Amino acid sequence: MTAPSETPIVEETGRTGPPPNRVIGGLKHFARRSPLSAFWGCIALLIVAMAVSAPLIAPYPPLKSDFRSMQKAPDETHWFGTDQIGRDTLSRVIHGSRTSLIVAFAAVLLGTTLGSLWGLACGYLGGRFDIVSQRIIEFLQAFPDLILAMAIAMALGSGTVTVIIAIAITRIPFGGRVIRSVVLSLKEMSFVEAARSLGASNMRIMLFHILPQCVAPYLILATTHLGVAIIIEASLGFLGVGIPPPAPTWGNMLADALNAGIVPPWWLVLFPGVAITITVLAFNLLGDGIRDVLDPRLRGSV
Amino acid sequence: MYSYIARRLAFGGITVFGVSIIVFLIMRIMPGDPLTAIFGPEGMTKLTEAQRQSYMEELGLADPLIVQYLSWLWDIAKGELGRSFFRAESVGEMVLRRGPLTAQIAILSVILSWILGIPVAIVSALRPNSLADNTARVISITCLAVPGFWLGMLLVLGLLFGFGYRAPQTAGGLGLFEDPGTVLQIIIGPAFVLALGQAAYIARMARSSLLEVIREDYVRTARAKGLNGRLVVTLHALPNALLPVITLSGILLGFVLAGSIPVERAFGTPGLGYAMFTAVNERDIFVMQNLVFLYAVVFVMLNITVDIIIAWIDPRIRYG
Repeated sequence: MTAPSETPIVEETGRTGPPPNRVIGGLKHFARRSPLSAFWGCIALLIVAMAVSAPLIAPYPPLKSDFRSMQKAPDETHWFGTDQIGRDTLSRVIHGSRTSLIVAFAAVLLGTTLGSLWGLACGYLGGRFDIVSQRIIEFLQAFPDLILAMAIAMALGSGTVTVIIAIAITRIPFGGRVIRSVVLSLKEMSFVEAARSLGASNMRIMLFHILPQCVAPYLILATTHLGVAIIIEASLGFLGVGIPPPAPTWGNMLADALNAGIVPPWWLVLFPGVAITITVLAFNLLGDGIRDVLDPRLRGSV
Repeated sequence: MYSYIARRLAFGGITVFGVSIIVFLIMRIMPGDPLTAIFGPEGMTKLTEAQRQSYMEELGLADPLIVQYLSWLWDIAKGELGRSFFRAESVGEMVLRRGPLTAQIAILSVILSWILGIPVAIVSALRPNSLADNTARVISITCLAVPGFWLGMLLVLGLLFGFGYRAPQTAGGLGLFEDPGTVLQIIIGPAFVLALGQAAYIARMARSSLLEVIREDYVRTARAKGLNGRLVVTLHALPNALLPVITLSGILLGFVLAGSIPVERAFGTPGLGYAMFTAVNERDIFVMQNLVFLYAVVFVMLNITVDIIIAWIDPRIRYG
């Protein structure tokens, strides 16, 4: 994977000046290096803003049914139309971004963190612990992501926390693999040897010398997996093992559209899917950009 | 070569064993009573404790975990794969009836993904960073972000409203050769939708692999002796560049099997993926347990097959 070198993996973004300029300088640097990612990064920020302020910008409450306008095509009062029981699709799409992002962020954070810590321990400790751990990771990777997530979500019973756990478990092997190989090359470096010769304990070396060097690959892993997590969440909702209805999630909305009748109205199908696509696109491209800036050598490997 | 195959198979066997333990554990951590799924929460209250006991024993859920696990393994060895709570047929029969349709979808989608992905990769690699290359990049990134099942729903709707066409909905179990017209109409939609995402990965991988191979000496030699650039790329560079693409395609095939679950749901295809969707909604743990195990085993076997094919093509791996 990464070729070991004596330079730290984290790149200095801003060149000189006090801290605030460094942040701005770093962002400018990012925008110059990958304008496409910067643009989609802004879209991602907008989506996050939409999720945070969902109750303020949604024109109607997402669960309120209006029985006088059921299954209405888009018009000026309901821009995205209404569903079978008169709920406003636009409001549900906006609220759906909340669930989607909360689940994706929590799952990726949990899964990648656990996996990375596991990988850190495997890479540094080596020996029997490493061999057994690698086998377990191999077993976990023998399942396609969606199937593992489905099985876990079904077994634990539906709910937000369940979905987060189910998706997080599918992310663990990636963290374990990538961070382990980073640690394997890091632990041969002279700064680790220096720490050891000063009498630092294994724990101390792991946490204070090697862990900080894993931050860049960790961030790369986390951001590149957000898109996948969003798609898995939507698929689980679509298959009926996600967050239970009437919660407005994009996957649930698509499932509702399909369950409504033989021919689902086009607006109930189109808008939630567009929302998923744009969100996944934004986070994928943002992730690509962050990867290229943080570590060009990891390009294409995660 | 044989020792390589033997080693790969042995590791595969260990993995399958580990997978069976994981599947079993997942299906037994289910909170609450497994009988709730069959009788519903209301029906549960009407059951007497004795009835409950006898059902548990009948289904084998009262035995200690290790006994349940071993009897499951025995069941797998017999090829029966357990019974559904809700249906008369065994999971083994269901797999035989519905599996071929899903397998055909998966294989057709892999073929389509190569037909779509490789030409795009060649065009991109011939002129890297040109307009064509950048367009291909944007399209492939978009394809990776579009959920297949949603595209499937749009496709069904579009065909219905645009052309008044709806794919036939006959039951599964049809072979491609018995009734090619009907089966092709059923599988082409899901296969196409599933192929798009794969094609995007394949185009990316084949492009970077081609660009790497093009830098090698033998390609320069071919150029130096005056061969035309296109011929060099397609006849000299491409065969060597395809190795990583074959590996990738094998891995993707496993993900297609998983992706076919929501896609079959979207199209209403009566394949194994749809059976999985039904099982997960009925919380039918016996069917789920066996299907999840089956999918994982197929995934492992695909990876082994791909490894062996690669080793057969490229001796550097076999002796490495």
